[in-house]
Amino acid sequence: MENLHIPATKETPEVRLDPGSMSFHLVGESYPENAMAFYAPIRASLQSFLEAPDSARGVQAHFNLRYFNSSSTKLIRALVGMLHQKAAAGVRVIAHWYHDPEDDMMAEFGLDLKEEFDALEFNLVASETA
Amino acid sequence: MNLEDFSVFRQRASSDGVLFYYTGEFSANVIGAMSDTVRERLEALGTPGRLGRKVFSTFMEMAQNILHYADETACEGGRIGALAVGQEHGKFYVLCGNPVRTDHVERLRARLDPLRRMTLDEIKAAYRDQLRSDTNAGDPISKGAGLGFLTVAREASEPIDYHIVFRADESTHAEFYLRAVI
Repeated sequence: MENLHIPATKETPEVRLDPGSMSFHLVGESYPENAMAFYAPIRASLQSFLEAPDSARGVQAHFNLRYFNSSSTKLIRALVGMLHQKAAAGVRVIAHWYHDPEDDMMAEFGLDLKEEFDALEFNLVASETA
Repeated sequence: MNLEDFSVFRQRASSDGVLFYYTGEFSANVIGAMSDTVRERLEALGTPGRLGRKVFSTFMEMAQNILHYADETACEGGRIGALAVGQEHGKFYVLCGNPVRTDHVERLRARLDPLRRMTLDEIKAAYRDQLRSDTNAGDPISKGAGLGFLTVAREASEPIDYHIVFRADESTHAEFYLRAVI
C-alpha cells in the first residue's frame, strides 16, 4: 500500500492516505460540480487502505473541512461509514472532526456522525484553521 | 438598454442592496469566478464568519442547482440563469431564476411547499433522514443527494420562497425563481 496524496484545489479538499502512520486526511473545501466523480476513487483507495494488514494496528482519520456542498455531503458521510465498519470489526479507529468554532452547522454535522457511527472513537475539535 | 435605463437599473440595484448579480450561462468556470467575487464582497463588508458561510452555502447550492437543472432546451447556448446576492433590512438574501420544463413544475412544488411549512427543527430532521437514506431513487430527475433545497432551507432564517412564471407565448417552459433570506 502506497501513500496517496491528492493536493487541494479550489473546489476539492486535500486527500492523504499514509500507510506509515495509518492515517487518513481530508482537508479543505469540497464543492466540485460532480462530487461522485471526485469521491469514487477516494472511496476505492480508502477501502484498500482499510483492507491492508497494517490497518489492524489502528487507524486515525482527520476531517478538517471548512465547507462542503450538498452533493459532497453523502459522500463524506460514506467515508465515515467505511471507517465505522472497520471499527465495528474490532479495530481501533479514531476519527477527528474539526470545525470552525463559529460554524454550528459543521459542528452539528459532526455530532450527528458521532451519534450514528458509534463504534468510532469520535473527537469533535473546535479549531480556527482548516 | 440606453444609458438612462442603465442608470435606473443601477440605482434600483443599489437601493435594494444588491451586492452581486449575474445573468447568463452557468458553467463550472463561471461559478468558480462568482464564488471568489461573492466571498470577497462578504469579507469586504466584514460579514461575521458564521453568517458569511451560510450566505456562501446558499449561493453555491443555487448556482449548482442552475448548472444541473436549468433546462438547456429553453435557450440556445446552454444552462442559462440569474443569481443575485444582497443585503436588506440587516439580512442577506440570495435569489436565483432559471427556465424549467413545465412538466417539472409540479415536482418542484411538491418539494418546496412542505419545506415552506416546516420549522427549523423539522427541516433539520428531514435533512438527517435524507442524508441517511440510501438513495434518491424516488426521484429520477434529481442528480444529487436530494439535499440541495433542504440545505438552502436549513441555512435560511425564514421560510424559503419560490415563484413560477408561466408565459403566454411559451407552453413547454416556465421560469422558476427561488429566494432565501439568511
